[in-house]
Amino acid sequence: MAVPDPFDLLRPLGLSRPLGLLRDAAWTAEQLGRSALGQEHLRLAVTGLSRSGKTVFITSLLANLLAAGQGRRALPALEAASGGRLRDVRLVPAGTQTVPRFDLAGHLGALAADPPAWPGRTDDLSTVELTLTLERSSWLGGLLGRRTVTLELLDYPGEWLLDLPMLSQDYAGWSAATLDRLRREPRAAACAEFLSFADALPAAAPPEEALARRGFVLYRDALRVCRDELGMRLLQPGRALNPGPRGEAPILWFFPLPHPDGGGLSDLLRQRFDAYLADQRESFFEPYFRRFRRQAVLVDVLGALHAGQAAFEDTADALAAIAGALRDEESWLDRLLGVGPERVAFAATKADHVPSRQRDALAALLGSLVGAGEAEAASVHVLASVRCTEDDVATLDGRPVAAVRGVLLENGRSARVYPGEVPLRTPEPGFWAHGFFRMPEFQPPRLDPAGAAGVPHLGLDTLLARLIGDLL
Amino acid sequence: MNRPPAEAANAPRVILEDEAPPTRPPAPRLDFGWEQAVAPVPPPRLPSRWSGLGRAAAGLVVLLLGLGALDAANFVLDQFARGTFTGLLTLGVVAAGFGLIASAAWVELRGLLSIRAVDRAREAFARGDLQTARTEAVRWAESVPEAASLVPALRVAGSTEELRALLDSGPLPALEARATALGRTAAIQAFSITAVSPSPGLDALVFAWRGVRLVRQVAALHGLRPGFAGSIALLRRTVFDAATVAATDIAVDAAARALLSNRLLEQFAGEAAAGAVAARRMLRLARVAADACRIIPTAGSGRV
Repeated sequence: MAVPDPFDLLRPLGLSRPLGLLRDAAWTAEQLGRSALGQEHLRLAVTGLSRSGKTVFITSLLANLLAAGQGRRALPALEAASGGRLRDVRLVPAGTQTVPRFDLAGHLGALAADPPAWPGRTDDLSTVELTLTLERSSWLGGLLGRRTVTLELLDYPGEWLLDLPMLSQDYAGWSAATLDRLRREPRAAACAEFLSFADALPAAAPPEEALARRGFVLYRDALRVCRDELGMRLLQPGRALNPGPRGEAPILWFFPLPHPDGGGLSDLLRQRFDAYLADQRESFFEPYFRRFRRQAVLVDVLGALHAGQAAFEDTADALAAIAGALRDEESWLDRLLGVGPERVAFAATKADHVPSRQRDALAALLGSLVGAGEAEAASVHVLASVRCTEDDVATLDGRPVAAVRGVLLENGRSARVYPGEVPLRTPEPGFWAHGFFRMPEFQPPRLDPAGAAGVPHLGLDTLLARLIGDLL
Repeated sequence: MNRPPAEAANAPRVILEDEAPPTRPPAPRLDFGWEQAVAPVPPPRLPSRWSGLGRAAAGLVVLLLGLGALDAANFVLDQFARGTFTGLLTLGVVAAGFGLIASAAWVELRGLLSIRAVDRAREAFARGDLQTARTEAVRWAESVPEAASLVPALRVAGSTEELRALLDSGPLPALEARATALGRTAAIQAFSITAVSPSPGLDALVFAWRGVRLVRQVAALHGLRPGFAGSIALLRRTVFDAATVAATDIAVDAAARALLSNRLLEQFAGEAAAGAVAARRMLRLARVAADACRIIPTAGSGRV
């Protein structure tokens, strides 16, 4: 019989990590000290499902903040929030970190190149810090010199975020929930080969490596089809889809079983499941997903809407699962120590893909999707990290409709796109009658490769003003 | 995609603007005139906001100086009424007193401005502004004996990298060596005093006093005459740099005390251990104070 981990017994009290608790206490003390000295240090968690635009968001945020630091009016709402006191913005030089550094110059260069390229799928962690220097607001405080606010940002594969809800599950519970999802259409068709393999395995299947590998490969391929062809997001484990620089290590070779308590193979898979979660907690969530004070949640609402009812509902489920997991991870001690996020901003990305008159509807739809009205600290925004279109009018069946115009990435031709009507709340079943639509990728506008003037955006300044304006 | 594309009348769709042949050049990328739209503007003159504490301090100064001046003026007039010689003597005393106060204020202001000059120089180096960097480097070199011989070379330097190399070639390492020596002296004093002092409260007082003196000594090496307000500004900067390593100090201190909690050992070794910690802190303080006063940031310090 397995002996329970004593720390698991303390988990409901939020005392499962005594060392983590000490680190949290030291972190809180450091934050207070820095605040008193006018040297704030802030971790801004940029969370979002895969392909929601995290890398482009961070690139645009850095370029526009650096431009604002040179006196350019790239972020007017943030400038207003700071009372015009922002004097300088600089990237903090790299120290001795083991985590790769965010490649701002590379991403800006690719966007500005001819032909341009959007950042590819992020497959590893990277971090970057920048320091904002501000005049003090009071005459007496001015004697003490300027204040600084250091922002720490992290880019990571969005697939990994979906491992967060797994942290509170055991192998049996995860298997049951995952198989239940896979058996529903349209996933069932894409996962048919894996499901027939898993269903055919006897309850007492032996712990053969060949079976485990075969099952994992079928499961991983099914997840890839769900992600790439069906637009699904709630796919676990994240590293099966995006293993990162370490590749597909044996720790990943597990998959859900219909008989998770059968012994033999199921014991082997359970061990790998537990080891995987422990590794994700230790190497990703604990060091990077705790102790952040502000959080931006990026959601490609439009992409989910155009991908159909199943993908839209799946995105909503994924968001709810992540939000629930973040709440569960935050214990009463975290709240006491002030470790949890103070402000959360939800943003519907790629908002330039709808004409301006529809952006309010986009924000309302995101608000209903994430239930943002329930929390005072949460706000909802529409965002285009890099604005690629301008408003235009198209004619459909003889009547004018609001559209957007941009240059298509694939062939360099100018095109108008009518994105359909964006509903104000979760759509009724009749809405989905028009079927699937893939929004084309647009070319970014003309950009300075060095990014000295920042990049054109929509709503980035409002989002930042809401997230960090009170600290400036 | 598995599903067929949309066909409904109100369905989303892409409308190509021209049925161009493949040979036709691609459409130009959109240009929002962003560079012109965000062109830099001079930073606004900020209205100086007076905090409650600032108002109270200013009121107190006005009362003390204003009423003092009025009182002194009345007193001088009274003295003149008694006799010209007495009046002149009193006027001389009052003028000397207020003159000294004004000169002290001037010294404080200059000290504070000299700290700001370090910031100006660092900013100029960071953004590659050769003109400002050269002006600040020459001004600094003229005020520091160790760097005086470099002034002609600094005047003709053609890039900020050249300026940086010149400053790093001799004067700055020499000043750092002297700062380390000052830190060592302060460390020995802090160790001795902490080990023999009768109370922890006195330890803290001695450490704080010696720390302030050390920071001022290091600042003087770098040509800064910080004064009181300047010292506070410098200490604040130094304390921030030191804060990143403070947690380690606290842990070491606690461990030393825990290990030496035996009553007998505590008596003889406990205070000496605390003294050793204090001495090490003093050495570190000398190093971070030297970093804070450098007109070019140390490599990898992350500060401008």
